[in-house]
Amino acid sequence: MSLLVVATYPVAGGPVLDGPVRVEPDGTVLIGGTRVPNAQGTSAMLGAACRVAAHLGTAAPHALVAGDIGRGEGTREVYRHLAGTVARVRPSVIAFHYMQPIMALMRTATEHLTTAAPDALLVADAGGMYAAKAAGIASRFELMTPDVGEVGFLADPSVSHPAYVSQYLFGTTGFDPVALAHKAYETGGASRVLLIKGARDHIVCEGELIDTVDEPCVPELEAIGGTGDTVTGLACGFLSAGFPTVDAAICACKANREAGRVMGATPAMHARDLVAVLPEVLGEHLCRWSGACAS
Amino acid sequence: MRLFGRKEKQDNPGAEEALGLLLFDNVNEALAAERVLNTAGYAITLVAPPQHLRAGCDLSVSMHRVEHVGAMRTLSEADVAVRMWVDDAEGTMAVSDIVTSVDFGAWLMVRAGNMKIVVEKATGMIVNTSGGGCPDIPYLNLELVGLTLEEAPRPKELGYTLCGLMLDRAYAEACAALGRNAR
Repeated sequence: MSLLVVATYPVAGGPVLDGPVRVEPDGTVLIGGTRVPNAQGTSAMLGAACRVAAHLGTAAPHALVAGDIGRGEGTREVYRHLAGTVARVRPSVIAFHYMQPIMALMRTATEHLTTAAPDALLVADAGGMYAAKAAGIASRFELMTPDVGEVGFLADPSVSHPAYVSQYLFGTTGFDPVALAHKAYETGGASRVLLIKGARDHIVCEGELIDTVDEPCVPELEAIGGTGDTVTGLACGFLSAGFPTVDAAICACKANREAGRVMGATPAMHARDLVAVLPEVLGEHLCRWSGACAS
Repeated sequence: MRLFGRKEKQDNPGAEEALGLLLFDNVNEALAAERVLNTAGYAITLVAPPQHLRAGCDLSVSMHRVEHVGAMRTLSEADVAVRMWVDDAEGTMAVSDIVTSVDFGAWLMVRAGNMKIVVEKATGMIVNTSGGGCPDIPYLNLELVGLTLEEAPRPKELGYTLCGLMLDRAYAEACAALGRNAR
């Protein structure tokens, strides 16, 4: 069981990095021994996934990333390398994260994975999710992790990016994430399971609400860049350890919130502060949340 | 001699006249075109192209058909690359203009669409950016956090994607809310 994360890192012209991920004691994220900037986005996601792997004693995540600051070169590079990496790593979970949303490349990649990694569970968040939905292949995915600003995008078949969603946005009258998740599933805009991140997290399976998580309530987490990425990283870590997808999503929500409480979150803190307290949070609570430990 | 001189800007670019679209290979070219054409006085709107013309998170410029020849020359002179002109703007969508904010006491968070910016009220310092999913968002986070609103470059001038454009809207709204000058 292993996790492959396909994404980019925020360095113009940064080379392809293809290797196992580890987090140094000071929070630095290394991919194949090379340091990547500690920002919101994929480094936050990888940091959280590493904490899960370390806690559960499973294989460290493997990352295939390239430098990209929005022009798409790095995204194209990782798609070029994807087939080789998948053949070598043989992942059980493949997560597409911060990437330029290029529909044609995502479509080609998932078609390839249908034969090259037919049993791998596909996860998408961020640009990977935008591309999968806009390309009309969201239903090929096991898990997507939109926030409340993105679920309306999944529900509207006519839009190719959340920036064009003027209705169904969080804060607008009648906003209902459960109804939007149902509509997204019915119209082919959603994965089998959705983890909708918000003041109350919603876990939806095949269009139907399964559970919500709203404790502890730490509103400051929404203001901290990367705390949605850490939820995704946690869920991917649990999923690749063999948790059922819904359980992985629920445990991810609980762990992220508890970490926010433990770190004493303020709007001026960073995702790395949350990643730093995850060992403590997982050690103290995961047995109970997952129901996997003997009492 | 210029065939198309500087124009008086109009408020509504398409109420009565037929519209067409300038298409670009990437969002930052569309944003550059917006700047150049606004400066030249053209009445334009940033929109999503119709579904059959989209490749990803595309952004296009809608404008009067009759003006596109002069506009394309203006863009060429400014080294802004246009992929093509389309003589039909049917099926386009406008970029979201919904903005909300949350007061965290010492900090103000402004959301524009799927993007957020958080500013320390007393100093105007950007302490966080979040949301979005395009690769320029972590880059913008590294470039903006720690700078004041006055010091920070405009996200739409540094970024390349629609997420960057939405972050720029959040930035502009934060400046307005806190009475600070946007660059």
